Amino acid sequence: MAAVDYLLQETSVGYGLYQVVQQPDTIGNRLKEVQEATQDLARFGKMIKLVSFAPFQGAAQALENANDISEGIANDHLKALLEINLPKGGGGKRVVLGISDKNLASSIKAAFSSVDCETNDVVQDLLRGLRLWAPKLLKQLQDGDMDRAQLGLGHAYSRAKVKFSVQKNDNHII
Amino acid sequence: AAGARGGAKVVVEPHRHAGVFVARSKEDMLVTKNLSPGESVYGEKRISVDTPSTDADGAPTKTEYRVWNPFRSKLAAGILGGLDDIFIQPGAKVLYLGAASGTSVSHVADIVGPTGNVYAVEFSHRSGRDLINMAKKRTNVIPIIEDARHPLKYRMLIGMVDAVFADVAQPDQARIVGLNCHLFLKDKGGVLVSVKANCIDSTAAPEAVFAREVQKMREERIKPLEQLTLEPFERDHCMVVGRYLRSQS
Repeated sequence: MAAVDYLLQETSVGYGLYQVVQQPDTIGNRLKEVQEATQDLARFGKMIKLVSFAPFQGAAQALENANDISEGIANDHLKALLEINLPKGGGGKRVVLGISDKNLASSIKAAFSSVDCETNDVVQDLLRGLRLWAPKLLKQLQDGDMDRAQLGLGHAYSRAKVKFSVQKNDNHII
Repeated sequence: AAGARGGAKVVVEPHRHAGVFVARSKEDMLVTKNLSPGESVYGEKRISVDTPSTDADGAPTKTEYRVWNPFRSKLAAGILGGLDDIFIQPGAKVLYLGAASGTSVSHVADIVGPTGNVYAVEFSHRSGRDLINMAKKRTNVIPIIEDARHPLKYRMLIGMVDAVFADVAQPDQARIVGLNCHLFLKDKGGVLVSVKANCIDSTAAPEAVFAREVQKMREERIKPLEQLTLEPFERDHCMVVGRYLRSQS
């Protein structure tokens, strides 16, 4: 398996791009010691480094991005972040980006030919760590910013779902 | 039953589970502290109780509680049945799958209080409307109208949670719960799943269905802690409580 170079974090306040400083173990992934490293901010903070954070400019942009992420589409806002911060693939050098969704992988690959996307278990554990420590890792955030953004975005996202449903009735799923 | 509102004889005591209360009058009732006093969510009764002021000569303040009907809420039925640990407590972040119109969710929101959060996922648009309206009054509830089968779709709306509660009544519910735990639940977080035997397999005996569901949860790294029947409030239902263990034991 190729080593993971970068990690993409999708939050209600914006996108975060992290560099993986210390490669995690792939074999002992489920061992207690390895799992505990992600839960300790001091240790986890040494494994990754924030490269850039692209906050959303407002509720409308956040909703647009939430809808795109949910459909596995790479929004222009996300493309811009990757364009600026990922090293250019000169001389056949490839960059491995760890993300959570396979659908998004194809959209990113279509836009960036030198980027490989990885969604394996090791990546998922790193992304769990990012989710757990997001309010601490993104230093420009104030306490409670993330919660407020989630609340607003949740309402906007859900209202749009209900509003634009053609059939007023339920979708029956078996 | 309207007599309960008379107020004078009612005494409210804290339940063993933090954030849950018991109102003692002619008969005992399970109640939660109303997060938006003065309003009922689904026509449930409210009880107002005088709390003595902390000052020596201050006037007593009113605290309002809402009655929680175990025949309408599986979590309430589980609490009355004597669940050991519900993982839902003041300040907790809870992912609630199968939120429906938000009647039970409103009580969970009361329990976690202003410092907690409830991420309420419901796929049906019809009940989703009611859920959104309920969430307008309770700002610790984040409504998510989306299919719980595809948690990646709503990954931007949720942070890490302390507990997952599921009442989805789907044949593949163990898988649905597993997917959501892997993404959003903290290591060693609590999992509560309501199992309706009929919804999983209507041909097998309920006990066999429950046993199979517990086994499926084990495979999703959830260590079962207890299994409780919801009789007499629900027939052929049980509540399975477990702990999510991300690491191998």
